Amino acid sequence: MAEISFPLPDLGEGLIEATVLEWLVAEGEQVERNHPLVEVETTKSAVELPSPQAGKVVKIYGGPGDTIKVGDPLIVFEVPDDTAGIVGTVPKEEAPRRRVRLTAALDDED
Amino acid sequence: MSEHTTLSDLEAAIDNTFATDAQQASVDVVEPGIVTAVETLSMQQALNRALAEVLEENPKALVLGEDVGLLGGVFRITDGLQKQFGEDRVFDTPLAESGILGMSVGLAMAGYHPIPEVQFDGFAYPAINQIVCQVGRMNYRSRGTMPMPITLRVPSFGGIRAPEHHGESLESLFAHVPGLKVVSPSSPNEAYHLLKHAATRPDPVIFMEPKSRYWQKGPVDTSADGYSPEGSRIVREGKHLTLVAWGAMVARCLQVAELAAEDGIDVEVLDLRWLKPIDAEGLAASVAKTRRAVVVHEAPLTSGLGAEVAALITERCFGTLRAPVERVTGFDVPYPSGDLEDEYVPNIDRILFGIQRVLENRRG
Repeated sequence: MAEISFPLPDLGEGLIEATVLEWLVAEGEQVERNHPLVEVETTKSAVELPSPQAGKVVKIYGGPGDTIKVGDPLIVFEVPDDTAGIVGTVPKEEAPRRRVRLTAALDDED
Repeated sequence: MSEHTTLSDLEAAIDNTFATDAQQASVDVVEPGIVTAVETLSMQQALNRALAEVLEENPKALVLGEDVGLLGGVFRITDGLQKQFGEDRVFDTPLAESGILGMSVGLAMAGYHPIPEVQFDGFAYPAINQIVCQVGRMNYRSRGTMPMPITLRVPSFGGIRAPEHHGESLESLFAHVPGLKVVSPSSPNEAYHLLKHAATRPDPVIFMEPKSRYWQKGPVDTSADGYSPEGSRIVREGKHLTLVAWGAMVARCLQVAELAAEDGIDVEVLDLRWLKPIDAEGLAASVAKTRRAVVVHEAPLTSGLGAEVAALITERCFGTLRAPVERVTGFDVPYPSGDLEDEYVPNIDRILFGIQRVLENRRG
């Protein structure tokens, strides 16, 4: 298993921090991509952050009222090694399938 | 060169294209003191292990690239290395491949052995100027006084359903550039040993990792007893026909060989490994025995490395060949989107058809 840390993104244009209002997931919880993670308030608005990926939540940073700086860790997920951060998908190992049969005769020297 | 160029000048120019063993920077080798054993590792794990050992053994070795540090690489090849060796030796770069290679050239000049990563094959294009005009030439240009010990890792080839620029095969582009060496491993054991070998050479090596094979596991003998990183290797012996392949196509050709055996055709599979320099003698030795050859690669047909392989075989085995060397390759189009890649990359049936054409001595 691999751990992937997700930092607080810039939720507006040029914001430097956000304040946690309420965590919507708990450590140990398995979440799907886009599942609501946390409600935070910035100087512009209060927003709900969706999960950037599926995985098990192993750590969350900050409780209600705490301020987190943009770029600092927000949450850490645990994911299987072979899906960690990959672009594309892992090819499946399949038994070879064929439609072509070889028919050519060999010569005397074979 | 002046009008008084002599043959020895030309020979010196050729000599200076590649570094000599004497140019290998001396390093204090840390005695590993490892109890060696055969382990089952994925290619990703084998590469990670090799990099860790190279960083451990050579204090001048550096790993750099996009996301190789904090993230550990998009394929986790450099996972944990920054934590283990620090941000001075394993570091993230800006998203600028020309800068990654330019920085590597400067580091090599200063006595380091950079191991840059270009995150995907198709991202190597912005670095081509640095690769061709600096990496490949600096030793030649300096009359052999400035070797470029750079090991450029490039996750390569297709097969993972990724978007554009993530499935390309650039081996013939690199192999055409004087001064570069090009190698591609086909198994976890090959990946481990070839990367350790490449990362201790004084010459620039383009290390093409078959990304679709990163997760397949296999035995890795870290002892290196009896292992030779030079030349090609026969991965399956056969007597009727030689399949020549590299990277991810080696595993597919082994599958094809098993299927051909059901039809009474005994296929030899040759893993070319080094795409430059190509092991012409190894090719010739195999084809002299089997008298037939099919070369398989993912890259487009025209000016693909298969043409070079076919020429080398023909030059050496013309008298014994039973049929022209057949090429089974990708097509002369940009690498397609994931939905179409099974039609583009040589599949089992297309390779079997290639074998059939050679057996019948029938032109494609």
